[in-house]
Amino acid sequence: MMNDLSFALYAIKKNIQASAELRTSFLTIVIGMMINNVAFILLWIFFIKAVGEIGGWTPADIVGLNGFAALTYGLAFSTFYGIRKMPDYAATGAFDRFMLSPKNLLVRVSTSAFSTSAVGDVLFGALCLTIFSFLIHANAIQLAILLVLAFAACLVFISTIIIIYSIGFLFTDGNNVSEGIFQLFFTPAMFDGGAYQGGMRLIFTFIIPSLVIGTLPVEAIKDTSFAKAALVVALSIIWFLLSVLIFNRSVKKYESSNFMTFGN
Amino acid sequence: MSELRLVRTTTKLRIKELLHYPSRFFTDIVIFATRCGILLVLYSFVFKLRGGMIGGTTFQAVAWSMFFYFAFMTFRLRDISREMMVDVQTGQIEILMSKPISYLSYKAWGRIGAGIIPMLTVGILGATALTLTVGVPPLMHSAAFLPTLALVFAGSCLLTIAVYTIVGLLSFWIEDINPIFWMVDKAVMMLGGSYLPVALFPALMYKIAVYSPFGASQFLSHTAYAKWLNEWPILVGIQAVWIALLGIAVLVMYKYARQTVSINGG
Repeated sequence: MMNDLSFALYAIKKNIQASAELRTSFLTIVIGMMINNVAFILLWIFFIKAVGEIGGWTPADIVGLNGFAALTYGLAFSTFYGIRKMPDYAATGAFDRFMLSPKNLLVRVSTSAFSTSAVGDVLFGALCLTIFSFLIHANAIQLAILLVLAFAACLVFISTIIIIYSIGFLFTDGNNVSEGIFQLFFTPAMFDGGAYQGGMRLIFTFIIPSLVIGTLPVEAIKDTSFAKAALVVALSIIWFLLSVLIFNRSVKKYESSNFMTFGN
Repeated sequence: MSELRLVRTTTKLRIKELLHYPSRFFTDIVIFATRCGILLVLYSFVFKLRGGMIGGTTFQAVAWSMFFYFAFMTFRLRDISREMMVDVQTGQIEILMSKPISYLSYKAWGRIGAGIIPMLTVGILGATALTLTVGVPPLMHSAAFLPTLALVFAGSCLLTIAVYTIVGLLSFWIEDINPIFWMVDKAVMMLGGSYLPVALFPALMYKIAVYSPFGASQFLSHTAYAKWLNEWPILVGIQAVWIALLGIAVLVMYKYARQTVSINGG
């Protein structure tokens, strides 16, 4: 376990160093992504101005929601971008080299790639969560909940994308299918949480965990709700165990291939 | 004649490619259903909470407006920017430019061929679903509606291609155009009426949406509102001006972009 963690940290460090080598390009992409993300906050603030507060959600909550969404997305895809490339690896036969590695397969494949733009998301997310804390005048307990839920939300996001991109092993053109399902998961996470009521809230919490990565953490912090915080933590553990199980099962469907078209 | 043959061949090839990979279809439909479908469910809830009317607009008009926006997005004309960047980064540009065809026409028609089937599918399915669930706004019964819709659709296609071609052409000078692409794309998304329908825009934002090329490229989303029948000549006129201006910009940029490429060694 410790060996796997230490290998993951080493691989992430090397990925960051390689990406930062082209400094101007790296900075342009990171800053560009941060500016790009502001659009979502503006849109939902205009939404609240136009239709009024829905379900008690204020512009401060929108900032918090975008903070969580950007941080989870950024951390997952900056450090574990290899997960998103799994369908490509499977389709081209490049997955063979990971299977031959003596390291933990999931850790090895997850840390095999790095997304520079996701670093912009991480910084933007951290900035938004800081602003959110100031706007709601967060006390020590709320800050503690924020830290715990930021970790839990990241775990849910990473677990969900492991499941989504493991589907790539089951289809010939798995990349497109996985991307479609990813949109189904992530897009609802960006919408004003106050508008999710009744059945929609249940579906996007327990079946598709879109609200677990942003909406529920924001509400738990705002209301200092330990019940909601516990639900997010519990769901993060369940989704993580489920993702490891599904990944291991999906990998068994992988048929080794190479560019000479033998195998698959 | 050769230009027509290029159009026919390029479009046909991209349609065949799409049909060969049906999962891309699936992706487009899932993305459309997720973004548009969930937004419409949320807005229907919000409109119910506010008594069925917000800012003098009904849910029916908002639903059709957002549907037009998202159906048009399924066309994926904006992908032309990234395709051009990949051509430049991989060196494919040298091969394409040495062929006796217009590179810009080839890219534009290729995108149209790749996107037309998903857009038509999503358009027909979505329009049927909306007609059955929320009904058709009264203005759509007007004889002028369909011809003006076709006109503004053609204008939106041309302007979107022009805007994103300019972004794509920047890849001849900039290593990675993604940051510029993101900003332009978000401007189009905000001013086009994606998550927030144009009828609910604050006054200043509405003016920017009408007079900027980013908003003008998505005038399709204006067609669902009652005032469309009075406003369309002005909006189509604004589109025409932007198409002319950006069209000239594309040609000038392309002329200079060509000079930066050394084909067959110079």
